[in-house]
Amino acid sequence: MHSILAVDDSASMRQMVSFTLKNAGFNVVEAVDGQDAYEKANGRDFNLVLTDQNMPRMDGISLTRKLRENPKFKTTPILILTTESSDQMKQAGRAAGATGWLVKPFDPAKLIEVIGKVIR
Amino acid sequence: MGETTNDGAHMSAGIDLSQFFQVFFEEAGENLEQMERKLLALDVGAPDDEELNAIFRCAHSVKGGAATFGFSDVAELTHQMETLLDKLRRHELSPTAEMVDVLLQSGDALRAQLARHQGHGTVPIETADLLVSIRRMCEGPGADVAAPAMAPVAAKPAATAVAAAPAPAAPVKPVAAGARVLALTVGPLEDPSQADSLVELFREITDLGTIEPLDGGQAADGLRRFKITTTTADSELLDLCTFHVARESLRLESGGAGYGFFKGSPGAPAETAPAEPAKDLGYGFFDDAPGAPAHAASAPAAPVAPVPAAATPARPVVAAAAAPRAEKAAASPESSTLRVSVEKVDQLINLVGELVITQAMLAQNGKNVDSQLYQQLVSGLTDLERNTRDLQEAVMSIRMIPMSLVFNRFPRMLRDLAGKLGKKVEMVTQGEATELDKGLVEKITDPLTHLVRNSCDHGIEMPAERLARGKPESGTITLVASHQGGSIVIEVRDDGKGLNRDKLIKKARERGLDAPDTMSDQDVWGLIFAPGFSTADVVTDVSGRGVGMDVVKKNITALGGTVEIDSAEGYGMTVRVRLPLTLAIMDGMSVGVGEECYILPLASVVESFQVEPGMIKTIGGSGRVVEVRDEYMPVVDLERVFEVPRFDFEHVSNIMVVVEAEGGRVALLVDELLGQQQVVVKNLEANYRKVDDVSGATILGDGRVALILDIGSLVRRSRH
Repeated sequence: MHSILAVDDSASMRQMVSFTLKNAGFNVVEAVDGQDAYEKANGRDFNLVLTDQNMPRMDGISLTRKLRENPKFKTTPILILTTESSDQMKQAGRAAGATGWLVKPFDPAKLIEVIGKVIR
Repeated sequence: MGETTNDGAHMSAGIDLSQFFQVFFEEAGENLEQMERKLLALDVGAPDDEELNAIFRCAHSVKGGAATFGFSDVAELTHQMETLLDKLRRHELSPTAEMVDVLLQSGDALRAQLARHQGHGTVPIETADLLVSIRRMCEGPGADVAAPAMAPVAAKPAATAVAAAPAPAAPVKPVAAGARVLALTVGPLEDPSQADSLVELFREITDLGTIEPLDGGQAADGLRRFKITTTTADSELLDLCTFHVARESLRLESGGAGYGFFKGSPGAPAETAPAEPAKDLGYGFFDDAPGAPAHAASAPAAPVAPVPAAATPARPVVAAAAAPRAEKAAASPESSTLRVSVEKVDQLINLVGELVITQAMLAQNGKNVDSQLYQQLVSGLTDLERNTRDLQEAVMSIRMIPMSLVFNRFPRMLRDLAGKLGKKVEMVTQGEATELDKGLVEKITDPLTHLVRNSCDHGIEMPAERLARGKPESGTITLVASHQGGSIVIEVRDDGKGLNRDKLIKKARERGLDAPDTMSDQDVWGLIFAPGFSTADVVTDVSGRGVGMDVVKKNITALGGTVEIDSAEGYGMTVRVRLPLTLAIMDGMSVGVGEECYILPLASVVESFQVEPGMIKTIGGSGRVVEVRDEYMPVVDLERVFEVPRFDFEHVSNIMVVVEAEGGRVALLVDELLGQQQVVVKNLEANYRKVDDVSGATILGDGRVALILDIGSLVRRSRH
């Protein structure tokens, strides 16, 4: 079973994402911010990281950057969930090594659709 | 339920979003509370970056959830707030007191909106003024945003082809089927804010579809960009837009160019509403990024390759028949807290209460058992007692919530109040982590609110007066909570003008109260608890209509608590409220009178002694007093008060228990002291009716019912 690390500081968003993913047959590990995610990522293997951008302690872009430093996460898809889709954000995401972005708000179907493109 | 989408593999997105609403409401409430707290603490002159970021995050988080779960009004207002806060944290604007005011008001409006979505109240919350104010602030000082003039277009039959707009309160609103996603570029404009009137346009004509600023409300290169989801024809759309922006400044393109949004699932289940960021803006992959799919989009700045149009067939997110229900989602393996309804906890507490009674019964019967013969039974009973007590404590602790929940509401209230009164007041809180039973917290909030208002209104002086007295211009109100023994003590202190002894005595006499010059300070301060007593020279609309302190005292007494006042004229006043930790369980002393057993709250028991002949003196007819260490106190004969039937006419009660309440002491005459025990308080009023001098009842170990005495009432009785 594929494992996904879902990172969001909002409990409702986390639940929604997590529920959607579990419903779709994924194994989900939740993290409440970038720091938490980084710590959890070290212990396990993940097939995908879904992270919110704006979070306390460590934001999504910083998390992406830090994860890419870890050889284990060199090729793992990392998607940033963001309310902002400006070029600026995209450049920052790209520079950090993110795989792509998904603009919030999204519905469960969209999430599954996007994930289907990076996890096969 | 909806069909799965074409991709096949993991597609069963028929998720009922409403299962997350409750979590969202709670989370949004917490975010709003935090935002308010931080806004109040914000130093407008020298804002802390981290604080600004935190405030931004609160609004951002509420917006994200609101948009996801379809609460468009909430999302709209938070979006605007977020825009302003974003500018603040980026130092594009400097915070002002007006901004803080508007943001606080917006927080109130959001609370009302959220309450409405939770089914409290049906009247839509009017936020147009707030939105306009915030938008104007976003433009920065000097900018003047013309009020949007909507009249000419409001009735335009632009959207006749579109399905009727759903009811405004419906949380989930589908975008009309067949909607197209368009990119609208506006500019260059002399005043880029002009473009915002387009957003107004879409708000006015909900059938038009949705519009979303793509640039966060900022013009990067003099151009403003919007994403529009609509079914209206391009020409008609442009016609409408030209009411606000010159035609040559408008460029309409079909979705996607330059901005990386896909033509999303057409007519797909949108939880967004008109005038809200549409959900199907999309996503993208950076080509050659690790893990990106083969057909990934090109470079981020360049147009992003569209997703195959058939990605997601139209499928509404339907509330009914969502396969696995909320339980699964609620109990996330990673979360360390669990939200439980208060009813469940109360039920648990009741059951534990019954268990305590059963245990007490067993313990009582166990006393008669030969401990040599039934060693195991006796040790089992001892274990049972310990375990029951531990269980009881553990269960009670579930209901304990920190005082910060009460304290947090005061800074805001005080800010508004001080502003109204033209005073400067700072609030300091200590011991917010002190925990108190939830039921008590709810009941103590009103009295505390009153005390804080009083301090601000009557205690703290006007800034000029304070300066003249050599005090800092700004007054301080301090709230302190702490545990002391089995009680919690809450203090409301101010460094205002304090109480004036002479004024109080004079006032009391005017009211016909007995107020001799020899009264102790404590007694003089206590006068303000008399009904209808107000020392304010001027009655303001804030407090001080003469109702209040007596009600405060009554409410606190009803909770089994006490109020005391300390004051020094010119230096301020402290009101000290002492409350039991919980209402459900009480440490009691049981006393016997005839065949009856009564419970005295242990906290009110001062001492007990055997009556020696001659100690009791009769004064003025029926009144009796007892002299204890040179102090006389009234004697209350419980036998008479409760008309206890007595068959042994020779018997004379000869044990005195001195109890204290409401600053007074009385000596209760009883037959015997039976012991100390924890009792489970049962409400007599709810189960039977109000009985004078009795605050409740409990069930004893032997199954009998014992009344719990209301010491305050007995003390009052003795005064008459």
